[in-house]
Amino acid sequence: MNEIYRPTPGTPMEELDTPCLIIDMDDLDNNMDVIANTYAGTSAKLRGHAKNHKTPAIAHRQIRRGGTVGGICAAKVSEAEVMVHGGISSVFITSEIVEPMKIDRLCSLADQAEMLVACDQASNARDISKAATARGVEVGVVIELETGLARCGVREIDQGVALAKEISSLPGLRFRGVMSHQTIPDMPDREDRAVEAARTIKGVIDLKDAIEGEGIPIDIVSTGETWSYDVAAEIPGVTEIQGGSYLMMETHYSYMTEFHYAGKILTTIISTPNPGIAIGDAGVRAVSSLSGMPTVFDRPGVTVENMDSDHSVFKIESGASLKIGDQILLIPAQQDAMVSRWDRFIGLRKGKVEVVWDIQARGCHN
Amino acid sequence: MVFFCPSIPRLRLLLTRPKWLLETTYMERPIFQPVGTPVEELDTPALVIDLDVMDRNIQIFQGYFAATTAKARPVVTSHLCPQIARRQLDAGGTVGGIAVTTLGEAEVFASAGFSDILLANQVVTVSKIRRLCALAGQTSIGIAVDNPDNAQLLSSGAVEAGVELRVLIEVEAGMGRCGISAGVEAMKLAQRIERLPGLKLDGLMGSVPGPKVGDDPAQHEAKTKDNLQVVLDTKEAIERAGLSVEVVSVGGTHCYAQAIQMTGVTEVRAGRYPLMDHRLKTFLPGLNPAAKILASVISHPIDGMAVLDAGHKATAPDQGRPVLEGIEGGNATRFSAEHGIVELEGDAQKMLNTGDKAWLIPYELGASVNQYDYFRAAKNGKLEGFWPISARGRLA
Repeated sequence: MNEIYRPTPGTPMEELDTPCLIIDMDDLDNNMDVIANTYAGTSAKLRGHAKNHKTPAIAHRQIRRGGTVGGICAAKVSEAEVMVHGGISSVFITSEIVEPMKIDRLCSLADQAEMLVACDQASNARDISKAATARGVEVGVVIELETGLARCGVREIDQGVALAKEISSLPGLRFRGVMSHQTIPDMPDREDRAVEAARTIKGVIDLKDAIEGEGIPIDIVSTGETWSYDVAAEIPGVTEIQGGSYLMMETHYSYMTEFHYAGKILTTIISTPNPGIAIGDAGVRAVSSLSGMPTVFDRPGVTVENMDSDHSVFKIESGASLKIGDQILLIPAQQDAMVSRWDRFIGLRKGKVEVVWDIQARGCHN
Repeated sequence: MVFFCPSIPRLRLLLTRPKWLLETTYMERPIFQPVGTPVEELDTPALVIDLDVMDRNIQIFQGYFAATTAKARPVVTSHLCPQIARRQLDAGGTVGGIAVTTLGEAEVFASAGFSDILLANQVVTVSKIRRLCALAGQTSIGIAVDNPDNAQLLSSGAVEAGVELRVLIEVEAGMGRCGISAGVEAMKLAQRIERLPGLKLDGLMGSVPGPKVGDDPAQHEAKTKDNLQVVLDTKEAIERAGLSVEVVSVGGTHCYAQAIQMTGVTEVRAGRYPLMDHRLKTFLPGLNPAAKILASVISHPIDGMAVLDAGHKATAPDQGRPVLEGIEGGNATRFSAEHGIVELEGDAQKMLNTGDKAWLIPYELGASVNQYDYFRAAKNGKLEGFWPISARGRLA
């Protein structure tokens, strides 16, 4: 797509055309190191979610840096294709894949890499089994349990056990385990998060125990996310954590101060129509407002007042000032909806371009 | 022979991958289904255009300008697709040019052959002014200005590049964002621009706020007229100062009915009408949604709920949620990053089962379009082709 304005290494941030999506490389490395250190001595490891960055280069860096199972999660088949073709050897698609064409693509990937997929219904398991058998591949299946997000997933333990029995009996499938995903309100205190994690993750552990009680072995219990990355790993039985947001960070998790804001939108002031107001060149098309409006980063006295498709309105408190041409950094309320709008990350270290990464799975909704 | 030589891996790579793959950053990978495929069989999520509905919308809307002095200037930011823009200019009732919102969009449409482009936004940095002036060397470019220092920078850039930029002074007309204050301030800026080399003062532009679902049409109409009058009053003020104002450009789609009745307006910038969206539906009842998102149900975990494979990333509900079409009792109520949740009431409780398809009408067209690389163009329910959304993501 847009290959014209790829900045060369060494370009200072001030010279970048805006709006653009940047990563502060020191912050990115910090966030990867927190994960590597946290999981250095635990049996549970991270399976980083690629939906948050959609970039094989970042997935490889994350795996190299440590603390992971050596594979990644993906949300969509097309996203998994980008990751497998980008050299990732184990991919867990954490959504249900039901259309015949997508099941075929999943099975094709299983010929190239270890593939796992979420499942919450027997008819879907049978469809995948047929396609996998026809291709002579094996697809790993993980049963999704609903634990508070009110969307996909089996609702009852019995339902999960029955599904596990069926999956175990089907050719072309290998039953691998169980998964759940949960969210919480802001919870700065680690002890509170530990209690909340134990409460919300209990369901998936119960399901694991019930399935094992039927003599069916389980090797994956995949749960957790950024908010529970540390506390979920302490729960016996949990083998993998599905974190993703920690990498770029978002204000949704502002209380998790060990992670730094790595992914930001760089925007330029294009108009100062009235005192106290300035207009930036990034609107919601650039940032997304999933989970709320973005926040101005490290610029005291300047706040986001409003945003439309291609403009943002900044409010300037007395004492602060903004003039046309000034650059502002925005951090998102929710980062993966923002990332999914951009063709590339511009990686900066100490304010200078270090690397440019194509977001190769951008637009991979299918 | 070389294909199997592992000792020169780089050469192998070059031989086994087509050259365009090495040069192109490939993003969305649509499954290229053959022309004639029924739309319900398309791989999902898919952004599908019904070409007949689109052409009818274009005919109807641009027909409003058949006998008026004011003409339409299609805003292509709403679809980012040169093929659609071409159809708009071919249908009559336009000024013969288009409007864009970003410099990147202007570059895409210039290279697609469009020769009259209004960049209805400010360009302020030295680097972008260079790009703008380079573009003005290839095609006729208009630019919005609301600040004298910016006008000075544009003038220097144009002189350096040896080009002329057409300038429209942007007047604040109710949007609360860019735009100089109407009246004296705008008039002073006009006098300043008139004296600057490399700039040609064409006139004025203003954007007036659009309605939201639930707004009262009569109240909105009155407010729109007031906002438009602000721009026209400024035109008079500038003309009284002895300067000519050839162009008065107002937008967007929703204000056409008021704008074409007001003497002095020369063009109406309008973008949403070919494809339409839910936000403007009640305000333009003669037009129908032509672009919809096709989604698949991936789970129907309990009665009364279906989960779609189109979430926030595939629909961009930043300014409003897309609307589920055609299922009485079914409402799309939540969009998380990857999933869309439909709540089903009454007789609909057991509808939308796993594998079924659902249609979503975007609330804010431009936001949804910006999430896709291709439109799936369809006629009579069958695929006609993949139309590149060429200016997608060109926000800079």
